[in-house]
Amino acid sequence: MSLGRYILRRVLAALPLIFLLPLLTFLLMHLVPGNYFDALRVNPQISPETVREYERLYHLDQPVLVQYLHWVANLLRFDLGYSFSYKIPVLNLLWTRLPNTLLLTGSAFLLAWVAAFILGLFAGLRRNSFVDGFLNVTACLGLAMPQFLLCMILLYGASRAGGIPLGGIRSAMNDDLSWIGKILDLSRHMFIPVTVLGLSSFAFLFRVMRAQTGEIKDKDFVLFLRASRIPEWKILMKHIARNAANPMVSLAGLELPALVGGAAIVEIFTGWPGLGSLMLQAVRTQDLFLVLGNMVMIAVILVAGNLAADLLLAAVDPRVRLLEKAHES
Amino acid sequence: MRIRKKVGKAGRYRVSFLVLFSLVLSSSHGALSAAVARPSRTLVLAIPGEPKSFNELVAQETSTTQITGFLFEGLTRLNTETGETEGRLAERWEVSPDGLRWTFHLRRDVLWFDGTPFTTRDVLFTFNDLIYNPEIINAARDIFTVGGKHILVEPSDPYTVTFLLPSPFAPFLMAMGQSIYPEHVLKPAVTAERFSSAWGVDSDPAQIIGTGPFRIAKYLPGERVELVRNERYWQRDGEGRRLPYMQRIIFLIIPNPDLRLLKFLEGETDFHGLSGVDYPLLAPKMREKKFSLYDVGAQLGSNFLAFNQGCPDARKRSWFRSRIFRRAVAHSLDRPAMIDVLYGRMGVAQCSPLSPSTPFFFNRRISCYEYDPGRSISQLRGDGFIDSNADGWLEDKEGNPVELVLLTNAENPERVQMAGMIREDLARIGIKAHLLTVEFNSLVTKLVATHDWDAVLLGLTGEIDPHFGANVWLSSGSLHFWNAGAPEKISPWEGRIDEIFAKALGSLDRSARRDLYGEWQEIAARELPVIYTVLPRLTYAVRNRFTNLRPTVLGGPFHNIEWIDIRDV
Repeated sequence: MSLGRYILRRVLAALPLIFLLPLLTFLLMHLVPGNYFDALRVNPQISPETVREYERLYHLDQPVLVQYLHWVANLLRFDLGYSFSYKIPVLNLLWTRLPNTLLLTGSAFLLAWVAAFILGLFAGLRRNSFVDGFLNVTACLGLAMPQFLLCMILLYGASRAGGIPLGGIRSAMNDDLSWIGKILDLSRHMFIPVTVLGLSSFAFLFRVMRAQTGEIKDKDFVLFLRASRIPEWKILMKHIARNAANPMVSLAGLELPALVGGAAIVEIFTGWPGLGSLMLQAVRTQDLFLVLGNMVMIAVILVAGNLAADLLLAAVDPRVRLLEKAHES
Repeated sequence: MRIRKKVGKAGRYRVSFLVLFSLVLSSSHGALSAAVARPSRTLVLAIPGEPKSFNELVAQETSTTQITGFLFEGLTRLNTETGETEGRLAERWEVSPDGLRWTFHLRRDVLWFDGTPFTTRDVLFTFNDLIYNPEIINAARDIFTVGGKHILVEPSDPYTVTFLLPSPFAPFLMAMGQSIYPEHVLKPAVTAERFSSAWGVDSDPAQIIGTGPFRIAKYLPGERVELVRNERYWQRDGEGRRLPYMQRIIFLIIPNPDLRLLKFLEGETDFHGLSGVDYPLLAPKMREKKFSLYDVGAQLGSNFLAFNQGCPDARKRSWFRSRIFRRAVAHSLDRPAMIDVLYGRMGVAQCSPLSPSTPFFFNRRISCYEYDPGRSISQLRGDGFIDSNADGWLEDKEGNPVELVLLTNAENPERVQMAGMIREDLARIGIKAHLLTVEFNSLVTKLVATHDWDAVLLGLTGEIDPHFGANVWLSSGSLHFWNAGAPEKISPWEGRIDEIFAKALGSLDRSARRDLYGEWQEIAARELPVIYTVLPRLTYAVRNRFTNLRPTVLGGPFHNIEWIDIRDV
């Protein structure tokens, strides 16, 4: 069995998720009374006939299941329908927001992972030192504190101290900056959202890395290597770090759902124009197809992320063989 | 020994706690400075929501129109300082004595953003191919459908166009503020039956073509909209220079109201619309932060309490149908307290369906129901509502407790707070009200479809011409919610209001219309189908950088944007 077939199998196994998640959303959205066009109903300048025409246009006058089937039929043609409020295809709308969410989650994830790797290694080697204690407390805070609270504390701090923008993604005069100024401007705006989003991932990954390092550094083979007069830095980099990093790779896939979910909260609190804030607005106004499209997009990101983590693990750890495993199952 | 060790460890953690916090704070403090030099002639505004589309004909939300208002123009427009309609794309017009034939003479010097001249073809296209196109669902069609019929548009040459009305339509001239769209740009989209999704937020800004003073330079979804000056704009100042003076307008999309306020205080934006509670915070900072406050008057629109006179519960229906009951409630509302608490004293009591800021039509003679709970109680006693079992709450003639559910929507915190105050007011006169906050959409379902509600606290947006409230006030109107569905009884005064609206729609005599709508306001105040509460006064905070600033309630701080310039450039 080739790698291609393995990937295909995984994608096929994920398909039910991509169809059932929206069905559940569909049913939940229908439990809520009213629909998007109720806002038009209380506009004295819009006649009830106009509202009815809209409902007919989007099949809202039909039973839930018929609506769902219409939607699925369109999904099979990669058509996620039209957004009620934006009047354009949902897919086009999601494309405009996806880069921002990926920028945020991507950099939070990368920073969290790299920081966890380095600091975890360091803390694992020097257990119970002051630095280890400090990092541990940070990690515990990161795990225990709800993201919205951390976000508010940071926003408050920034509003008192100044210097760090309180929301948005670029400042008003971004266009007049040089390219380096633009990058600096963007990173200043990313400081709070990335810190909040990355901290809990960092905490989790850091604790794993620290425990792994602590365990491996006392193993017999390390003692043996040391006895063979292999330079200490080589032992650290080639043997301890690499061995400790294995679970870090597979756990990366697990961290992805938390990141994507957390991104929505952070986006809403910091006014980051990504998928999360779009989703909130869509749910509030009952922009049905936009909510569904968003769900599909998030499901796809998760499936793709988990798959990527598994493939990466196979590449890093020689003991893992995806293809044989797939045979067995 | 063990215990001590633990204590020691805990102490160390506490230290690192402090270190962590100070690290977090100092890192935000020491970072790169925010100040970016601002180029001249740029206006920066914060808006709460992103535009849903640039196609304002199909997307009517404010988030869209607050931007497209700079891009498109109609044949006329409302002068928000005088309240009069004035010419825009039309230089002048004539009307036949019966009010059915309006001839407009268009300006000859108007160009679309791409240089194509504006002519009657575009007017014809806007009405016949867009507004009256059955494939395009739009609200403008409802406005331009007079007595169930369409208006005929007949161009006689590229710069003269005649509108033939099926019956007299008094607000016609004001309605002609309707934006005109370019035929040469949009015709292909109409032919391909995809006009409704044309000019969406995913389209190239260069394709969005109007005649207005500004055009879109750039749109970053969810983040900002940038407008630049239209170099071809037709209007010139007294010295022959082309308007507008301003080079750029940048809209930053900031959903969070607190962030908008902070950005204004930091100097990043030029304008902040105050809610009353911001006033004490902002007023002392005027000098330091270089801005001025403009109190322009009461907001348009209305906030009101209404009782369901078609309530399914016959007992409640009989209370709500009683004018004495409604008047007693009107006297029980402590409006001064509402103004203090909700708007930080920056508010007015509302007594008419029209806001006091409505030009021309507002009836100044209408008096308000003063706060007088003692009077309410004696009025209610006269109507048979007494506390017969001495439990502190009123009972009606049959001994049923006077208890009702007060409905409001959860999205509007100010309104929820107002509902809480009204519950207290009602309790003071012995009426037990239970507060129920629901999502806006389910509130609407109750009001217009299921009709199963007792009392509601709601607001409606304001119209400058009372005719556009007809859906609410006509007994057959789709929003005649206090006596909706198939009312078993239409009161004589409701009949009179139907007459007034029909008459005022057909009359071109402005003062006659004012008298008619004046009578309507008197009937509304006497019969109280809805009991008005309070309105906030609008206060604008604007940075001291601009000249020619003449803020109004109707048009906002920058309604005369063509004329606004930066000081000392």
